[in-house]
Amino acid sequence: MKRRHFIQTSTAATAFLTLGGLSLQSFSKKTTKHITILHTNDVHSHIEPFPSNHYKTPNKGGIARRATLVEKIRKENPNTLLLDAGDIFQGTPYFNFYGGEIEFKLMSLLKYDAATIGNHDFDNSVEGLYKQLPHAKFDFLSANYDFKNTILNGHVKPYKVFIKDTIKIGVFGLGIELQGLVDPKMYKETKYLDPIEIAQDMSRILKEEEKCDLIICLSHLGYTYDNKDTVSDLILASKTKNIDLIIGGHTHTFLDKPTVVKNRIGANVLVNQVGCYGINVGRIDFYFDDAKNVTNKGVSITV
Amino acid sequence: MKKNIILFLTFLSLLSCENSSKKLVKIEGTLIPIDEKIDSKKEIEDFVAPFKAQVESEMNKALSYTPINLTSTDGELESTLGNFMADLCYQKANPIFNAKTGKNIDFAMFNFGGIRADISKGGITNLHAFKLMPFENQLVVVELSANKLNELVHYLITEKKAHPLSKQVKLTLEKNGYSFKINNKNIDSTKTYFVLTSDYLQNGGDHMNFFKNPISLFKTDYKFRNAIIDYLKETDTVTVRLDGRFSYKK
Repeated sequence: MKRRHFIQTSTAATAFLTLGGLSLQSFSKKTTKHITILHTNDVHSHIEPFPSNHYKTPNKGGIARRATLVEKIRKENPNTLLLDAGDIFQGTPYFNFYGGEIEFKLMSLLKYDAATIGNHDFDNSVEGLYKQLPHAKFDFLSANYDFKNTILNGHVKPYKVFIKDTIKIGVFGLGIELQGLVDPKMYKETKYLDPIEIAQDMSRILKEEEKCDLIICLSHLGYTYDNKDTVSDLILASKTKNIDLIIGGHTHTFLDKPTVVKNRIGANVLVNQVGCYGINVGRIDFYFDDAKNVTNKGVSITV
Repeated sequence: MKKNIILFLTFLSLLSCENSSKKLVKIEGTLIPIDEKIDSKKEIEDFVAPFKAQVESEMNKALSYTPINLTSTDGELESTLGNFMADLCYQKANPIFNAKTGKNIDFAMFNFGGIRADISKGGITNLHAFKLMPFENQLVVVELSANKLNELVHYLITEKKAHPLSKQVKLTLEKNGYSFKINNKNIDSTKTYFVLTSDYLQNGGDHMNFFKNPISLFKTDYKFRNAIIDYLKETDTVTVRLDGRFSYKK
C-alpha cells in the first residue's frame, strides 16, 4: 500500500518535471507569436457572388467562399481575428426582405469577432438595428457614437480586448458623422463625437490601462476626401498615436495594399480598405518576438 | 521554505516579464480576392438556400404588365421609361406633399443616367423595380425661384438628353429659342415652383446644381423604388407613350 502510494507520487513528480522541461524548451525555442487579422468592409448585404455576366465584377465575392477562406486561415493560425468595418446592411433584396437578419446570422456562422457601425446600418433606424442584434454573435464596437438616449444604449461597446496566444489586441470602432448623410429620423438621438479626440482617448486607454500589444481601429470614416478638412482614415492615422492598424470603410476604396502612414510621433500606422461587396478580404499578419531576442529596433513591414 | 519563496517570486517575475516583453517585429499585408478559385462552403450555401428561394420567388412575382418595351432610349428628348418613372413618382408623391403643405408639386424631374435598366414587354416584377432603381434614393420636393427654374431649363436645353420629366412639362426646342410651359403656363417670374426629384440629384448629383440650396426642401420619406413598386401593385396594365413633352419643334 505504502509502496504503491510512493510510485504514484513519483509518477506525478516525473510528469511535473517533464511538463516543466517541455514548457521550458518551448519557451526557449518558439518565442515568436503570430496574429492574423482578416477584414471586410461595406459588404452591403452581398451574400451571393456577382453573376457571371456582371459588367464590372463578374463572379466575384460570395459569403460561402469567404467562409471557406476564413476557415482555412483559422486552421493554419488559430490566433486569427475576423473584423468588419461597417455598412453590413443595404444593397440587395436580402436586406429589403429580412432587415439584416441573414447578414448577421451568416457573419456569426463565419465567427466574426467584431464589427463597427456604418451609416447604412441605420437604414432601418436604430430600432431596425436593435431588432437584429440578437442574431449577431459578435460585438458591435463604436467609441464616437453616443447611444445613451437611444434604444441601442448598452448594446454597443467602445472597444474590446481580445487575447490570442497571450497577445492583447485592443479593437475600437469609429463612425462617420451622420448629419447630412443619414435621415435624423433614422439615427434619432445618436450623438456623433469627434473621432480624433475619441481615438486619442481610446488608444491611450488600450495602451496604458489595458496594456495592449496591438491596437486596431475599425473605422467607417472613409479613406480620404478631396476636401482635406473632412476627417478621414489618413488624417486619423497622422493625428493619433499608438494605433497599429486602421481598418477602413465607407468610401468603397479598393487598395491593392495597405497604406503606411506616419503617425503623430513618427511611427508607422497601416491603413487598409478592401473595396466593397465582399469582393476581397484583407489580411494583415503581425509577428511578435520576445524583446530580448530583438536586436533590430524597427518593425519590418511587407505590403 | 525561504528558498521556495524566492523560487515563487522568480516565477512570478518571469510571468509578468513575458507579458510586457513582446515586441512587434514584422507586419505583412495581403489582399485576398474572393472568386471562383475558392470553393463555397456547403453549410453556408445550405443556410442561404431557403432565403434565396423565397427572395427569388418574391422578386419574380409579376406586379403589373406592359404591352410595350419600356426603354430609356426610344425617343429623342424623352423616353417611354423616363415618362413612366416621372409620371408615377408625381402621382405617388403629390398626395403626400399636398397633405403636409396644402400645395401641389408643379412637375417631376430626374436624370437620364438614373434609369438603370429597361423593362421588356410582358410582366413587370419586383426584380424590374430593383434593377430600375437599385439605389436607396428618396423623393424630395424642392422649392425653386423662377431664376433657378430658368437654370433648370437651360440645363435641359444644353444637355439635350432624355432626362425624365413628368407630363406637366412642355418644353419645345425651336430654331431660334425655345418654349417652356408648366401646366400650359409660362414661367411667372414672381412665383416659386415645386419640383419633385431625388435626394441624390438635390445634392447636386449629375451637376443639377439648380437643386442645391432651394428656397425650401421637403423630404417625402418615400423611397424612389417603393414609389415604383407601389404604383405597379395598383396598376394592372401600364399605359405610357411618347407625348412630346420635351421635343424639337416639328
